Amino acid sequence: MAAPHRIDVHHHFVPPNYKKEMNKKRPMQPCMQDWTVQGSVEDMDKAGTQVSLVSVTTPGLHFGSNEESRMLARDSNDYAMEMMRNYPGRFGLFASLPWPDVDGSLKEVEYALDTLKADGIGMYTSYGNTWLGHPDFAPLFEELNRRKAIVYTHPVCAPCCQDILPDINEAVLEYGTDTTRAITNLIFTGSSYRYPDIRWIFSHAGGTMPFLIERLTRLARIPAYGKLLPNGLMHELTRFYYDTAQASNATALGCLRSIVPASQVVFGTDYPYRTGLDHVKGVAGCGFTPAEVQAIDRDNALRLLPQYAS
Amino acid sequence: MNRIDIHHHFVPQAYKEALVAAGPSCPPPGYQPPIRDWTEARTLEAMEQSGIRTAMLSITTPGIHFGNDAAAGKLARQCNEDGARMMADHPGRFGLFAALPLPDVKASLNEIAFAYDQLKVDGIGLYTNYQAKWLGDESLRPILEELNRREAVVFVHPTSAPCCSGLQPEYNEAVVEYGTDTTRTIGSLLFSGAAVKFPKIRWIFCHAGGTMPYLIERFLLEARRPHSAKQVPQGVMHELSRFYYDIAQTANPAPIGCLKALFPATQILFGTDYPYGIGCQGHVDALARCGFTEAELAKIEHDNAIGLLPRLAR
Repeated sequence: MAAPHRIDVHHHFVPPNYKKEMNKKRPMQPCMQDWTVQGSVEDMDKAGTQVSLVSVTTPGLHFGSNEESRMLARDSNDYAMEMMRNYPGRFGLFASLPWPDVDGSLKEVEYALDTLKADGIGMYTSYGNTWLGHPDFAPLFEELNRRKAIVYTHPVCAPCCQDILPDINEAVLEYGTDTTRAITNLIFTGSSYRYPDIRWIFSHAGGTMPFLIERLTRLARIPAYGKLLPNGLMHELTRFYYDTAQASNATALGCLRSIVPASQVVFGTDYPYRTGLDHVKGVAGCGFTPAEVQAIDRDNALRLLPQYAS
Repeated sequence: MNRIDIHHHFVPQAYKEALVAAGPSCPPPGYQPPIRDWTEARTLEAMEQSGIRTAMLSITTPGIHFGNDAAAGKLARQCNEDGARMMADHPGRFGLFAALPLPDVKASLNEIAFAYDQLKVDGIGLYTNYQAKWLGDESLRPILEELNRREAVVFVHPTSAPCCSGLQPEYNEAVVEYGTDTTRTIGSLLFSGAAVKFPKIRWIFCHAGGTMPYLIERFLLEARRPHSAKQVPQGVMHELSRFYYDIAQTANPAPIGCLKALFPATQILFGTDYPYGIGCQGHVDALARCGFTEAELAKIEHDNAIGLLPRLAR
């Protein structure tokens, strides 16, 4: 067995009260119903994962009521803290926010980062029909920028695209697409430039952004967009981090690697939808050098999360 | 002077007029400068300069149906006749993927017959969706049946879906939504069973397959779900490997490397998206930097297209 050295930035937990609320809306998938802390730990042990940064998966925890969402976010964050206490060194937290409740989210940022000492904030690629470059996010991103926060983003299937294809699970392509929309939106509204100290992590190797790079490059050459990017498009794209979850194959990671250096790729598993070992094997088959694999598994994440060095 | 451009748009006068008439309600605004300024002479000049012997003509997004079946039927006919005229006026320089007035199925079946039997077109041009019906949709089955019977070459051009038009008004929807919609229609064909049911259709997808190659892991996982597995009994890769993919607007090592990792060079076709993008010569130059061998380039720029369209062989 590999020494537990990996840092998994994309690992889901299912707080009991969140599960209760979710099941009232639409029953969660079996792997989510059956999630336990012990299951997480066992999977991590098999994959040589030292620590998993847990987050709440799509569709998040705002179902229309700010009040309810504040409670759920607080409860979920507190539950993660309990996991961290029960399994010292094995878990970290990308805290949930009750967004689009602005005030509630600002309070939760303060609580999560100051009181709970969470490792970062977990956000979704879009909320309703607003992607992360929307002006609504300004107060939140100003605060997160001031704190130089890590913001881990998880895709959702945006309202536009739910149930449009009867034969296909939305995970096949809508999640990847929404990540691309979020990245594109952050960049081409100038938000990425405006909040340079937020350390963004995008899921699933950047959605589909690397494959569509030519479209982005050409857009950036149009003066109206170019002026939103004083440091250039590639400066923004190469400061973001991209996780390996559900994209640990040579096709996708090879493409990602041709856009950004290996230093920006971080290990992620999407547990419990997929296993850690799947991803260990996947990354091993992508043609990275041993040094690059070590960087992806651990060292790149340590630059963001030095507290897990020991 | 031997290249075959599988993805080359022409703009018949009747289509220009229809775009202007559709005005701002036409999503996306179809009447952009490259379309407005298109002429037959400019197309020939661009082909000449970049060694393109034959350009396969098609009508670009948003297509020809602006809400009225009768008008769309008439416009399809006008466009197809104009394409046929270009073929006749410049022997060997043009081929045609005929336009259909979909989602009007009955009129489209008529147009398929007319286009093949009277105009002797090379294939049919479809869009990735028609009013939120992707190509695997039941409503389009009669069309696919007929195309299968004719062993048609079908060129599938992206368009943005109603779901996603104007979602991000900050920039052109070509950036994200076109590629995505190609992926949707590939998924729809696979997991509705249409790809397997109509095996004789020779499918060409634009822009290196939209975003499908990047999402291949998701496609492979989807095929493990029992319902989906039944639709692709020989597996996803079997179907995907018989499709063709053009390199228009994706002739750079990131997507092409990804595409190449999945499919042999025999499935890749030279295409430029003229008059959009970096132009004909731009694509020639960019493709040369994608790491293909000379032999592979010969396939991509010429041989594979001849295999699909033997008429074009000299």
